[in-house]
Amino acid sequence: MKNTELRQLIDAALEGQISEADFLRLEAELSVDPEARQEYYDRILLTQLLAAEAGEQNGEQQAPTPTTRARVAVRHWRWAFAGMASVCAALLAVMIAQRPDAPVIIGQPRVAEAQGETGEQREQESSGYAIVSGQVDPIWADETTLAHGSMVPPGELHLQSGVAQFELFSGVTLVVEGEARFSILSPMEVLVTQGKVRARVPEPAQGFRVLTDAGEVVDLGTEFAVDVTAEGSEVHVLDGEIDWHPRGLPAQRLEQGDATRLAGGVEVPIAANSSRFVGPEELQQRLKNRAETRISQWEATTRELAEDPELIAHYQMSSSRRRLENLAEATREPASEGAVVAAAPAADRWGRPAQALDFSPAGSRVRVHVPGEYQNLTMICWVKINSLDRWYNSLFLTDGHELGEPHWQIMDDGRLFFSVKKYEPPFEKGMQDKHIFYSPKFWDTSLSGRWLMLATVYDGTQKQVTHYLNGSILNREEIPEEYLVDKIHIGDASLCNWGLPSRNQPRFAIRNLNGSLDEFMLFSEPLSEQDIQQLYDVGKP
Amino acid sequence: MSEPTSQPEAQFVAELTACQLPLTLYIRSLLPGDSGAGDVAQQTNAKIWEKRDEFEPGTNFKAWAFAIARYEVLNYRKQQARDARFVFSQELEQTIASEIEDTDDLEERQEALRLCLQELRPRDRELLVSRYASSATLAEYAEVVGRSVGGLKVTLHRLRTALLECMKRRLSKWGTA
Repeated sequence: MKNTELRQLIDAALEGQISEADFLRLEAELSVDPEARQEYYDRILLTQLLAAEAGEQNGEQQAPTPTTRARVAVRHWRWAFAGMASVCAALLAVMIAQRPDAPVIIGQPRVAEAQGETGEQREQESSGYAIVSGQVDPIWADETTLAHGSMVPPGELHLQSGVAQFELFSGVTLVVEGEARFSILSPMEVLVTQGKVRARVPEPAQGFRVLTDAGEVVDLGTEFAVDVTAEGSEVHVLDGEIDWHPRGLPAQRLEQGDATRLAGGVEVPIAANSSRFVGPEELQQRLKNRAETRISQWEATTRELAEDPELIAHYQMSSSRRRLENLAEATREPASEGAVVAAAPAADRWGRPAQALDFSPAGSRVRVHVPGEYQNLTMICWVKINSLDRWYNSLFLTDGHELGEPHWQIMDDGRLFFSVKKYEPPFEKGMQDKHIFYSPKFWDTSLSGRWLMLATVYDGTQKQVTHYLNGSILNREEIPEEYLVDKIHIGDASLCNWGLPSRNQPRFAIRNLNGSLDEFMLFSEPLSEQDIQQLYDVGKP
Repeated sequence: MSEPTSQPEAQFVAELTACQLPLTLYIRSLLPGDSGAGDVAQQTNAKIWEKRDEFEPGTNFKAWAFAIARYEVLNYRKQQARDARFVFSQELEQTIASEIEDTDDLEERQEALRLCLQELRPRDRELLVSRYASSATLAEYAEVVGRSVGGLKVTLHRLRTALLECMKRRLSKWGTA
């Protein structure tokens, strides 16, 4: 590396402006080159000296004269010391003045201040007015995909066919039937340019408005529907009453059972017809029927998978029992059954109660034992993450961290983490105990509470590791030759937590996942991209 | 003001005082660019003071203090729940610990810096001094002085490099570098 480049990297690091890739390059350079390290120390020291100088010139409080260190000329000493260590020096003076055993109280307020300065504590934000709360066979135009539970993006939405339900933050439930074009303008305002939209308005959302070309509906309580076509618009009051403001005509109040049709500037009263619009109950029933079909398809796949000799472990997290059967039947060395610890019952990805485990209680985990040695591994799980509030959020980790053992977890910034330990210390120059395969950041709080399929494939034969989210590749990385492990072993391990506190050491790091799991699969083969996509397609709720 | 301190305690204070620069240098090296490094140094001093009875006079004070500093750095990282992206490897951290010496030529360095600052154009000098007097991030500071972040970064980088070169020149003339 050239000197200029090295200096730029160091300065970027000291300004807190360095990218991850550059940090790794800097680290590599510092690890191998003593001159680079000297440059690094020099520049850090310069930063300190400059801060001291700046403090001095800005008339910052001077440090008390130290009592010792005679060989340093006092004038210079004080001066140099002022900014960079004035706090320490003042502190020492205070401490010395105190009785030796008096408590020392320091630090806390400054830490809080520092956090404020860097802005790291900024409140998280999201944008949108509604979430998708249910869909049957939706086809969205323009490659839009709106997953269940996702935030609705601003702008016009075009549902070509199918039915979708939205919950607005005001409490309004909307059921939209394709083909429809509409925009959610605010939690209290929806514009419909085409299609059938049924709105159920709870008391706190009274005054909710639906805008159409023909006019505007203002809700006075509880349920109404609009049908907007090129020929004309209809408004049906299904429950309660509304104010109807047709364009160019006087406003009128409509009550339950009333409906009106406006076409070509002529308005005709008609009878309200609830059955023409899909309501929330009907949608729920359709969703339930659809889920049942999908569940039975998945169960058929599960039976097929059980015959796969490469499937080592397959757990479905029914919480009615505290022992989880390993559904893999054909493998030579199957994993043990799973023992549930502390995890609480939760709804699974199809919404069935107690068919998943919630790992948020402290200590939660499923204990398993996986025998054997492997050159390849595929790990798949269906997971619902509430938040990533710990440094490491466990998916599947071996008890300790011995040679050849894999760790699969999620970093607090939303990246998948996979590693297999290769070396014990002491390491050769520039080497680590393992290579960590990170995915790009795939999770943020907008995915909170959504079911996802995560998969990681360790392909020792092709020397690559691939991370997947919902059947699609997140990234693929080559396994560096020096970190390739061809004898992976697992032994005792935990799902969604890490390790066991040892005797006389009941303290343990909190690494349990704040979320739920309803399924976990482990294969001794590297599944292909098509395999993973297929498993997602047949397994998705 | 302060009560007379006992002989071993005075010695401990002397050791701790003499160790301030390497200690902060060490902590800053492990937490490059982290605005919390100063607090970690402060916390480390408090911890060293708390543990002063555990120090065996005659043994290596710097090594003892650095071990405490390293613990405080780890502790700080844990509190901040920082991920491992901007953490040096253990090996490099150990190398840094073994290389940071007691810097005896501190006063010369500061003197050299002062002289070198005088060689800069006044407005460059003002920029540097006010930048280092400020605790704002680079982006915030750029906004305050009405410059682009990129431009400011380049200017500061150039000034620092010039200063370091000037200091090296002076120090070698004085025979200390």
